[in-house]
Parts: sequence; structure tokens; C-alpha cells
Amino acid sequence: MAVHAEHLDHGHHEGHPPEPHYSSRVTPAVLGMFLFIGSEIMLFGAFFTAYFFVRVANGTPWPTPPFELPVYVAFINTCILVTSSFTIHWATSSIKKGNVWGLRAGLLLTFLMGLTFLITQVVEYLRIGFNTSDGAFPTIFFCLTGLHGAHVFVGLSILLFMTIRAFRGHFSAEHHHGVEIGGIYWHFVDVMWIVVYLTVYIL
Amino acid sequence: MRNPLRSEAEAFRFLLVVIGGAVAIAVASWLNTWLGLAVAVVVVVLLVRWVRGGSGSAPR
Repeated sequence: MAVHAEHLDHGHHEGHPPEPHYSSRVTPAVLGMFLFIGSEIMLFGAFFTAYFFVRVANGTPWPTPPFELPVYVAFINTCILVTSSFTIHWATSSIKKGNVWGLRAGLLLTFLMGLTFLITQVVEYLRIGFNTSDGAFPTIFFCLTGLHGAHVFVGLSILLFMTIRAFRGHFSAEHHHGVEIGGIYWHFVDVMWIVVYLTVYIL
Repeated sequence: MRNPLRSEAEAFRFLLVVIGGAVAIAVASWLNTWLGLAVAVVVVVLLVRWVRGGSGSAPR
């Protein structure tokens, strides 16, 4: 019994749990980011595989007549999203220098531009003139752009909380990890949109 | 190996590289479809080399 109790206490110090064992090669933060990137690549990869199968292997015309894609509206939307990455970079750079108002203005502009992007996409869906029941092309179009739209929605939720926290004075030149992480996610969403826009609308 | 999402600044730099590649592919494909495909292959290879050859410090 005493031996058993001693065994249970092994590694515990003054009632605290033992220190977790980390890999000597990969830190938890880096591992988490790699897992996140890996899962996102697999998620988007599945939809891009369907896209290439429909368009290249199956030879489906893109866009299938008589449907047309609103390329120019999407281009304006792309410009808005790319600009929002510049404003969030400005926000992050500002808080690193201790400029709280730069952070607030940058985050607010980023949120408004992201919201504009999402609203424009919803309006585009309503006026596009086809639906998922109209064949493989519309299905893949809605899946790819909709998956990205879902990511924008998550990014907007993060941005909303970041902006509220910024106006409450939660961030400073020393403590701005929340802004940094949100910024990384927003840039990732932007990169994914450029790939989606290029493959779906341009090529 | 460079982790393009290591920091916000690094992610922003990666975004600029992707925009540059996307513009090159779009212009090339507008001129000729096969030229666009060739440029896309070159851009992807350069992007992979950029990520692999980064100066990011190895995780400890």
C-alpha cells in the first residue's frame, strides 16, 4: 500500500501536478500551428480536388453556359480583402510601437472591410442566377467560395472581439499577443481567397 | 524551413509573395492558357523553395 502511494506521488511536487513533457524538437505553439495548417490544407484540398476533377478530368466547361461568374464584382471584393490585410498589419505595427489609436483605427477598418466583403458575397449569391441543384459547376463554386466565406465569418468574430478589447485598452506595446494571432489568421484567410479567386474566377 | 505563419509580420510577407505569384499567373493565363499553367508551376516551385529555404530558427 505504501509502495503504491509512493508510486502515485512520483513526480508530484508539493501537491502540484508534474511539469508537462514537451518534445525537444517542436514547441507546443509551433506544433499547434502545423496541425492547424495541415488540417486547413486537407479541408481546402478536398474541395480543390473536387474542383479539378470536375473541370479537368470530367471536362465540364467553367463556367457552364449559360451561367456567368461576376468576375469584376469579385475583383473589387478581392481588392477590399487584400486592403484589409494591410490595415491589420498597420494595426499590429502600431501597437508594437505603443500607438493605441493606430491599433483601434486599423482593427475597425479591417473589421468593416471584412464585413463589406462578406455582405458583397451574400449579395452575389442572391443575384448570381444559379444554385447548387444546377449541376457540378455551381456546386463546386458554392462549396469553395462558401468554405472561404465561413473562414471570413470566423475571422470577423475574432476581429470583433479584438476590436472591443482594443477599445477597452487591453493591448499595449508589451502585451499584444491577441492582435498578433488574429492578424496571422486574417492573412491566412486572405491567402486562401487569392487562391480561390484565381482558380474559380480567373483561370 | 520557414513557417510562413510564425508571426503576423511573416504572414503578411507571405501574403505579398502570394499576391505577386497570383498576378503573374493571372497575366500569363490571360495571354495564353498554357503559358499560365507554366507560370503556375514555376510560381509553386519558387514558393516551395522560399518556404523550405527560410531562415526561421529551428524550434527548440
